Amino acid sequence: MSSVLAPYWEFAKKAFAREATYRFEVFTEMGSLVLRVYLLRCLWTALYAQNAAPFNLPLHSMITYATVALLMSLVLEIDGTRLIREKLRDGTIATDLMKPIVVPFYFFSDGVGRTLLYAVLVVPTLLVALLLVHVDVPAPATLGVFALSFLIAYCVNFVLNFCMNSIAFWTLETFALQLIVRWISDLLSGQIIPLTFFPGLIGRTLFALPFAAIYSTPLLIYVGITPRDAWGAALTVQLAWLAVFGTLAFVIWQAASRRIVVQGG
Amino acid sequence: MPPIIATRDLRKVFRTVRRRPGALGALRTLVSRDYEERVAVAGVSMAVEAGELIGYIGPNGAGKSTTIKMLTGILAPTSGEIRVAGIVPSEHRKENGRNIGVVFGQRSQLYWDLPLVESFELLRAIYAIPQDRYRRNLDEFVELLEMQDLLRTPVRQLSLGQRMRGDFAAAMLHDPKIVYLDEPTIGLDVVAKEAIRNFIARVNSERGTTIILTTHDLADVERLCRRIVLIDKGAIIYDGDVERIKNEYGRYRTLVVHFCERVAAPSLEGAELLSVEEATARFRFDRNRERADRLIRQASERYALEDVSIEEPDLESIIRRIYIEGYARSPEEAPR
Repeated sequence: MSSVLAPYWEFAKKAFAREATYRFEVFTEMGSLVLRVYLLRCLWTALYAQNAAPFNLPLHSMITYATVALLMSLVLEIDGTRLIREKLRDGTIATDLMKPIVVPFYFFSDGVGRTLLYAVLVVPTLLVALLLVHVDVPAPATLGVFALSFLIAYCVNFVLNFCMNSIAFWTLETFALQLIVRWISDLLSGQIIPLTFFPGLIGRTLFALPFAAIYSTPLLIYVGITPRDAWGAALTVQLAWLAVFGTLAFVIWQAASRRIVVQGG
Repeated sequence: MPPIIATRDLRKVFRTVRRRPGALGALRTLVSRDYEERVAVAGVSMAVEAGELIGYIGPNGAGKSTTIKMLTGILAPTSGEIRVAGIVPSEHRKENGRNIGVVFGQRSQLYWDLPLVESFELLRAIYAIPQDRYRRNLDEFVELLEMQDLLRTPVRQLSLGQRMRGDFAAAMLHDPKIVYLDEPTIGLDVVAKEAIRNFIARVNSERGTTIILTTHDLADVERLCRRIVLIDKGAIIYDGDVERIKNEYGRYRTLVVHFCERVAAPSLEGAELLSVEEATARFRFDRNRERADRLIRQASERYALEDVSIEEPDLESIIRRIYIEGYARSPEEAPR
């Protein structure tokens, strides 16, 4: 086993080390996050002062929701598959294809390595954020299910990004497209506004979209809106989306590698 | 023993979108596309024995890179057969990957932000190189390429020559049977070029590594290769000894005559005028038919001379002529 997985573990380690060389970027990322935590606290406090608490989400839960969402974004907004686009532009993907490795797994482990660095940063960022806001801590069981749900969310997010970045095999550039999808998903995934706030048909539609599997599902588990007996169903829906986009990513990759092999990329 | 690389009637045809000229054309290309076929490799058959060091050369767009891509397995041929160390590369890309190493002069496979040695360690994991063999190879390459001080340096801080040395070590760490080198000395200074050439020669002779060298610097080929394969417009036009092609084409020498003053149309019997520039004329003569000393005497009788020199043809000028005129088995018959 070890020799099969060794290269991918090594890819992750190198990606971690590589990202860590950009110290300035890492620290500005943390700083901006703490700032956003504070701004969102102000925003929600002001909004709640005007209205009665919607549904069963009191202000302290809302601030917890917003803060955890921002900490999640530290990990989720790392586009772990950006490497595909970069490698296509400079042509080094050819050298990777000449190695005895499964290239999509290489991209995945590189993404994991990058993400791990930021995951480590969650801790100090949280500590600083706690100076500014109060965050509720749920029961250990809830925390555990949240962690599991977050892990699946990470994978859904990864395959979604993988699909989008793979479009670069045909177009070489996907930046504008990604910006659009990023905006839509920020709004529709429940990162900024809990999906339970959206009324009627709109709310139901948003819950049916794959973006909900990224932020909304783990967050609603965390703040306790998803009851204990609905955990199983929530995770199942997430896994279903993972399967759908995982398959799509596989199909796209097959087509892309066929294109390289036939057209020379 | 069967050849380590064998191709038969290898062809590659690309289908590309025909682009229309101009901004309006570009807009039309977006909407309606028609395709054209471009033959990149048109029936290449060759056999390479294990341990050979071959110069694979040809002008830009001749089909060199396409052939190399097919040999590495990242490009599937349109038709024809390839076997590399007994494997069909495009069908078994990963297995083939274990047998080969590649160096591209224009792009690096090293991790830009990390110290050089980190890229080597990554390769150790990728190819599952046993620790002792890894150490042995690394030590040897570090010594041969004088990289002692470079291992801890981030690749982005290395000079081009230093980086190339790193890329060479990276390509050879897993003891590949075959190494493809694509323009490995491009942009290097003379000292760095020589270091790289020595390394290539040494790896070939001591480890018996089969090497396919693609380059535009024919000094690389002259220094390293006994055999060259010359490709043009997708087809092989010469496959054989470097010496033979030099002898065949090397029959012609150039006599360079510097006159004391401008001469309108200089001529010498037994030599063909190639060019006149200011007060310098260049004549070509066949060394089997004419002697240099007789030509010089003839020239000095006709004109006032300042200086005279004779140029031996180097591989570069020979190849240049073949690119322009095409290869003919006996060069005299080649159209001028």
